[in-house]
Amino acid sequence: MEALLTAPSRDYSPRMVSLERPALTDEADWIAKAKRSDAGAFERLYRMHIDRVYGLCLRMTGNVSEAEDCAQDAFIQAWSKLDKFRGDSTFSTWLHRIAVNAVLGRIRKSKREQDRIKLAFEQSSAPVSVADNGELRDLSEAVDRLPQGARHVFVLHAVYGYSHEETGQMLDIAAGTSKAQLHRARRLLVQQLKEQGFEE
Amino acid sequence: MTEQDDKIAIAASQLATEIAPSRDLWPGIEEAIKAPRAPRQTPWYAQAAAVFLLVGASSMVTYSVVKYDESNTPKAQVQQVQIVPTNMIFERAAFGGEHTLESVYGRAAGGVESNLNRELANLSPEARADVQRNLAVIHQAIADISQALEHEPNNGFLQELLVAAYRNELTLMNRIGSMTQRVMARKDI
Repeated sequence: MEALLTAPSRDYSPRMVSLERPALTDEADWIAKAKRSDAGAFERLYRMHIDRVYGLCLRMTGNVSEAEDCAQDAFIQAWSKLDKFRGDSTFSTWLHRIAVNAVLGRIRKSKREQDRIKLAFEQSSAPVSVADNGELRDLSEAVDRLPQGARHVFVLHAVYGYSHEETGQMLDIAAGTSKAQLHRARRLLVQQLKEQGFEE
Repeated sequence: MTEQDDKIAIAASQLATEIAPSRDLWPGIEEAIKAPRAPRQTPWYAQAAAVFLLVGASSMVTYSVVKYDESNTPKAQVQQVQIVPTNMIFERAAFGGEHTLESVYGRAAGGVESNLNRELANLSPEARADVQRNLAVIHQAIADISQALEHEPNNGFLQELLVAAYRNELTLMNRIGSMTQRVMARKDI
């Protein structure tokens, strides 16, 4: 585990979600145009944000095809709700909220649906942690095996850097519950990694 | 947070947050958004709730307008004229079948409206504007509820709301329209 967990450490101050993109004025322009039903402008917004939205969906669902569906749903919903975007948060955060709702909506659909997702996941040969390499891949796969509640909190807080308050709002749970789930997630991750033979 | 927690947190913060999907998802999205955005339809229950609030608010303003009028008249010296709109008999709304309140209501409102128009001319511009604004709110409420009823003609809640809105309109028109009668009933003049 030491090898896994001593990957070159940058810093662990929760990363802000705001995008460091040089063309935020362009983004504002595209948002304004997309609000006027300009699909071309919306496609630019899609190109700008899809990797981040898909990444979140993938980490939350742990399944490639479900993540694709959720990401698509998220952008379709974003299109229909664009006139509600007032700029109180960044567009990226707003999209993330929609994406989280898309994921949660799919999960709530039915138990049978969840079973199907689980089955699809088990049968899927596509590596989920395609963007991670080396030891991080082990952590990524361990995250995928976390129970749903713990995984969602861990992904939003520890991976995407949302505060417990923001995480709670997105998942419709209390900030205290988010903290408890994070604690649980960490404990389970340590346990999993130990079982896989990683030494402390 | 333990040292282990710290290590996990550091490792988690290094996981990729941007992952490209294996296929372009845009064509599916483009297909779905091709249809022009439908104008947002406010759900009928939201309209109903709004109507309740508006009717309530309008009643408050009406009350204050009338109250203001009464406060200028010493209460003890006024013999209140009881307004009994004999031509207004509210029946339980039954819009689901062939029943309609419109014609009965129209006749009742017609008489009251002529009194109202006469009285409005005597009000201050501010009070007149208040009354007209409140009437407009109620008229809009009636139109909204009627529209919702077209879709759900047997919805009892909407029927009740419509009757309440009509009643508010008549009450407002009656109160304003009766001002002159009340002033005429004053014994101190």
